[in-house]
Amino acid sequence: MITKQSKKDLLKDLNRRQFLQTSGALGLAAATSSIAEIVYAQDKTILKIRAYADMRSLDPAFSQGITDEEIHSCIYSKLIQYKPGREWSWELDAAESIEQVDDTHIKFKLKPGIMFTGGHGEMTAEDVKYSYERILDDALESTNKPDWGSLKEVTVDGKYEGTIVFDEPYPPAWNIALPYIVGNIISKKAWEEAGGKVDTTTPSTSGPYLHKEWQPKQKTILVRNPDWHGGTAAFDEIHIFPIDDENTAQIAFESGDIDCTRLSLGAVGNLKASPPENSTIEEYPSLYYVWVGMNVENEAMADQNLRKAVQHCIDVPSILQASYFGAAEASTGIIAPGLIGHRPQSMVPPESDIAKAKEYLAAAGLDGGVNVTLDVLNKAANVTTAQVIQATCAEAGISVEVNLHESGAFWSLGDSSAGERYKDIQLILNRFSMAPDPSYATAWFVSDQKGIWNWERYSDQEFDNLEAKAKATSDPAQRDEMYRKMQDMMEESGAYRFITHEATPVIYRNTIKPAFRPDGLPLLRSFTGA
Amino acid sequence: MLFYVLKRVALSVVIVMLAVTLLYCMIHMVPGDPARILLGPRATPELIASMSARMGLDLPLPVQILRFFGNLFRGDLGMDVITNRPVADIVFGQLPYTLWLIFTAIVFAALIGIPLGCYSALHRNSLADRISGVLSVACITAPAFVVALYSLLVFAVTLHWFPAVGAGEKGAFWDQVSHLVLPAFAIGLSWIGYLARLVRASMLEVMGENHIRTARAYGLAERTVVYRYALKLAILPTVTVIGVGMGFLLSAALFTEIVFARPGIGKLIFDSITTRNYPVVMGSVLVSTALFVISTTLSDLINAWLDPRIRASL
Repeated sequence: MITKQSKKDLLKDLNRRQFLQTSGALGLAAATSSIAEIVYAQDKTILKIRAYADMRSLDPAFSQGITDEEIHSCIYSKLIQYKPGREWSWELDAAESIEQVDDTHIKFKLKPGIMFTGGHGEMTAEDVKYSYERILDDALESTNKPDWGSLKEVTVDGKYEGTIVFDEPYPPAWNIALPYIVGNIISKKAWEEAGGKVDTTTPSTSGPYLHKEWQPKQKTILVRNPDWHGGTAAFDEIHIFPIDDENTAQIAFESGDIDCTRLSLGAVGNLKASPPENSTIEEYPSLYYVWVGMNVENEAMADQNLRKAVQHCIDVPSILQASYFGAAEASTGIIAPGLIGHRPQSMVPPESDIAKAKEYLAAAGLDGGVNVTLDVLNKAANVTTAQVIQATCAEAGISVEVNLHESGAFWSLGDSSAGERYKDIQLILNRFSMAPDPSYATAWFVSDQKGIWNWERYSDQEFDNLEAKAKATSDPAQRDEMYRKMQDMMEESGAYRFITHEATPVIYRNTIKPAFRPDGLPLLRSFTGA
Repeated sequence: MLFYVLKRVALSVVIVMLAVTLLYCMIHMVPGDPARILLGPRATPELIASMSARMGLDLPLPVQILRFFGNLFRGDLGMDVITNRPVADIVFGQLPYTLWLIFTAIVFAALIGIPLGCYSALHRNSLADRISGVLSVACITAPAFVVALYSLLVFAVTLHWFPAVGAGEKGAFWDQVSHLVLPAFAIGLSWIGYLARLVRASMLEVMGENHIRTARAYGLAERTVVYRYALKLAILPTVTVIGVGMGFLLSAALFTEIVFARPGIGKLIFDSITTRNYPVVMGSVLVSTALFVISTTLSDLINAWLDPRIRASL
């Protein structure tokens, strides 16, 4: 036992050399104490993959988009899953059968014998009911509630049978609900025991992999679920590394740290010319949409002729070359190819038409030129795009002043509850993500979204009616026509100049056989060894 | 000495509190509704209001600050509104990665920079001194992120000597060390230059002092004169610089943690600011500010301990 006096003596006797020696020894001891813990199983099959952000929640009600869903889709089951490939479709997962029996009813029957982990029993229709209906519960405050659209309830028709009931037809259920975030089925028993919601651990799962560990900011580790109903998962472990920078991810791939990653568009040309050994590059179209919006309520931009002049000034091919290295195509609207409502061509051609722009300027009484501002998020591609827009607009006499914003400031620019800044927006370069249903694209441009996500403050009753109607129309042909019409209206208003849907180039090692959605996002549960 | 220590500690606490209050005001001046940014595009106004209340953003700013300090004195840094984990767990989970990175970088820089500075001083105006001078300036001017990228390309991609990303397997010491080499090299390189130039200048100054001349006059071995008498004094400014340098290394660690996709407090602050996760921002800024203040205070105290002249002046 060290007494107060002996402590004092110790300190007194400790000279500087002893101090350094002791510190060094302590440091070494601390460092080497973990050597004994090294345990490596070299014969494990491990898939190492990059995610662009860290995991946030293992609760489907609070999943924050694709990075969480990449994990959820491995550890949970859904009635149906996205089918890997170049065209959007789905395949059965937990459902033995599923059928749209009428506009508002989907009947399903679960495969018997799907077991939840942790001794939480077999999956039944009650679990499906609980999983879907809890997201509708306002008290839960799920941000994913809109994905269920007009879902009313799930009725339990038997141990394995149930019916998903909607208040009105909701075709997007097949595209963005059942095979996506809110379609994950959780164990009612386990969740109720956990208090109704979970955070970064999960009490029970049923998918091909189990959630083993989350190392914040470093990686998420999934391990094979030996009791998975679908057979044997391909890998012993999946390690998901959150790497937000695409260049870092590319270096990690080239150094052998990861097996698959999305690439930056700028890297594709070089890598295709000289690909890393034993690797494959594939390019997928993306669902993102990029456009230049114009605030129709801004004093300067209220003149439709000026907006149309800007539309004709912007040269999309030049932007694609400069900002996207020629790896992306011009878009025709906000709905990507392969989805219902995609337009084969836009009304304003992608190429600029300076003469026409000058005509519109003259009609607006602005022959002498005009100054406008362009708000841009401070990403390299956006800055380049803004510079190209500046250059081509200058040819017509439109002087563009570019305002750069960091992400937090940018994403609140049009928010009318965050001050008066939304009024100052004139031109804005914007980029939205998208799920594979056209309703996901058009929802942000209705009148109710003014001051929320409709920063152009575009408002048209006919558009609003069409948006509501298209979402609830079952006939694909009719939906297609309505969504095309909506994009025509947006373009005619002059408030939108559509740029691109970007692209998703991916690279993977030939030792694995990856599986991607048609937009290039990985479906990890379907990855296998080559 | 005891009074001096108490005075420095009290001053450190005041500095941390002021810095945190200032930062609290600054981050609230940045545009953007944190609740909306956190919840994403599909959040309803009711959800946004509920989240604002959970983050305490519906309260006046002075009340928020007072509440923060009130909780702090109870040892509570708050809860992360995204993952519902205690902020203290998150911050102290990330802190060791950054501390190891900084410690390794400093040790690496000191092991090369101090001998290099000594050698230059003892061989003043020789070819080796000139080469050392050029190399030191080159190291100082090389930005950490450029060094990081090039070291990745050379040592990870081309030579495959070291891994490119991450911090290594938990519990696997050598794996963690191999993940530490390149990031530490990236942020430590410029410090080699700093330390070499600093030690050289200090050594030259000390070598010209009376007590060194006296020691030589007594016939002491040159080795004893240099390492026992000269270096002991010449090293003092280096200790101070290393203390202050902790703060700079913290910011250099941010870039390095992003480029190497390493966990750490710099990356945590960056991500939290981007997502406006204020409880985590405040917790992590508080801890890193405290770290900076502690390291400068410690360097002052070590200086006083090493130099009897400083002790005498207290």
